[in-house]
Amino acid sequence: MFCLGIESTAHTFGASLVDANDRILTNVNSAYRPPVGVGIHPRKASEHHATVADDIVRTALSTTDGSAIDPDVIAYAAGPGLGPCLRVGATVGRALSSFLKKPLVPVHHGVAHLDIAMSIAKARDPLAVLVSGGHTSILVHVGKRWRVYGETQDITLGNLLDMFSREARLPSPGGASVGREATKGQNLLKLPYTVKGNDVAYSGLLTAAATLLRRQSNLADLCYSLQETAFSMLSEAVERSLVQTRRSEVLLAGGVAASPRLREMIGSVAEDQGASFHPVPIEYSGDCGAQIACSGRLAFQSGIKVSTSDSFVTPRWRMDEVDVPWIPRD
Amino acid sequence: MDTARLTSTPLHRGAEADLSLATIGPWKVVVKHRVRKEYRNPILDERIRHDRTMSEASVIHEAKTAGARVPSIVGVDIENNAIVMTHLAGTVARECLDDMGKSEAQKLLRSIGEQIGLLHTAGIVHGDLTTSNVIVSPSGAPFIVDFGMSRRSVEPEDRGVDLHLLQRSIVASHSQDPSSMMNATFRGYEQTAGKRVASSTLRKAREIARRGRYFAIR
Repeated sequence: MFCLGIESTAHTFGASLVDANDRILTNVNSAYRPPVGVGIHPRKASEHHATVADDIVRTALSTTDGSAIDPDVIAYAAGPGLGPCLRVGATVGRALSSFLKKPLVPVHHGVAHLDIAMSIAKARDPLAVLVSGGHTSILVHVGKRWRVYGETQDITLGNLLDMFSREARLPSPGGASVGREATKGQNLLKLPYTVKGNDVAYSGLLTAAATLLRRQSNLADLCYSLQETAFSMLSEAVERSLVQTRRSEVLLAGGVAASPRLREMIGSVAEDQGASFHPVPIEYSGDCGAQIACSGRLAFQSGIKVSTSDSFVTPRWRMDEVDVPWIPRD
Repeated sequence: MDTARLTSTPLHRGAEADLSLATIGPWKVVVKHRVRKEYRNPILDERIRHDRTMSEASVIHEAKTAGARVPSIVGVDIENNAIVMTHLAGTVARECLDDMGKSEAQKLLRSIGEQIGLLHTAGIVHGDLTTSNVIVSPSGAPFIVDFGMSRRSVEPEDRGVDLHLLQRSIVASHSQDPSSMMNATFRGYEQTAGKRVASSTLRKAREIARRGRYFAIR
């Protein structure tokens, strides 16, 4: 059984093929990169996706010897994300599904981040920390769904790092740029630290950091302080959630999970509380086709599919609104 | 007050502090020691531990004065970021709630709601209100503990966070029907906080829940 996954929620258009044993056979991605100092323009990103879609899908479906594989299931990222971008992936998915007469499966992008991380780590029922441009959430699976145990009350960790890096004229992706600068910093500047219970709030931190930037603070020290403060806030919320939910595994997934410092901090929290730590491998941390293929395969085997006429995209779609009956994994 | 000189036995490891049990004269006391976190920058770590210790001790004392059921402060060890307070016998609500029948659980939640109302009336918000931070005494009376995240505030926003967090802990950790549990909590809350404060808090709590990511505008 081969499942084709199509990702197109934001900057990345990707396609990937996985088999019934969770093996990732192909994973082909192309990211739209905005100019330095500018964010993602939804229409321009969608134009990028439409341009590369044909090549990406074709490459994802071809084997090393050049022959093509017909997928048995087509999964597409139905949300959450940017409307114009989502519609490109959904259109490609619908077209393939009706042409090949194969079932179509809508996938939640955030759930997919966790699914691929869990598949690779062989995690069973973890406390999941999802950190990306779209999410900053601490989740546990109860009943049929992921439940949000803690989350950001305003902007995400990815937003924070992206927006700050744009202010500082650092190249995209912002998290990596800030992280690079941070390794050169050593003085901790005082920045607002906001933890409300298991929730965090980053907008005040962004404002304060941007103000210090305009006042000509040392950029390396500022990046260091921003990263230390933002990651410490999340780590504290994760530690508290871990104690309360008593999970024995901690999963770290999403684009910001590529940060070595964040991996170190969340890993230290897990170790302190006697839980095993499963960070997603860096090559699968950012948005990619493989996450959608992986999640789509699991969803299809749980009986989830949609007819082309009923298929949809949902720019706003919460993690706790999706049935995810395939967890705990056995 | 130098807590290092007390002979104590470990009681519980929390997320940010170690609790240990000691005896001072006729009293059984709990020493809450905020431990250094390996993942945190040392300067940030010291600042957080110091600020939280000082604020927790004074807020607990104020809550007691306001008539809420909380531990009594025996002393503060500033150098070691530790608080000494009276020990409470009982069970953590998180442990006993699921074993209760519906009406018994509702009665407990109502009583918890009354305690939250007392705190809020005194201008104190807890900041980390979950069923893990409520100790139910042998007679069934709930005591609120762990004021590490608490602050002085009369903002509906901060009061709303308290109810929101309690609701989320009920949804995520308990098999009891969340809406009837929250209704019971709210009835108790209304009784001590008054109708006007209660309705503004409830409105904020609902708003906060919707503030999370990707709530559809419906």
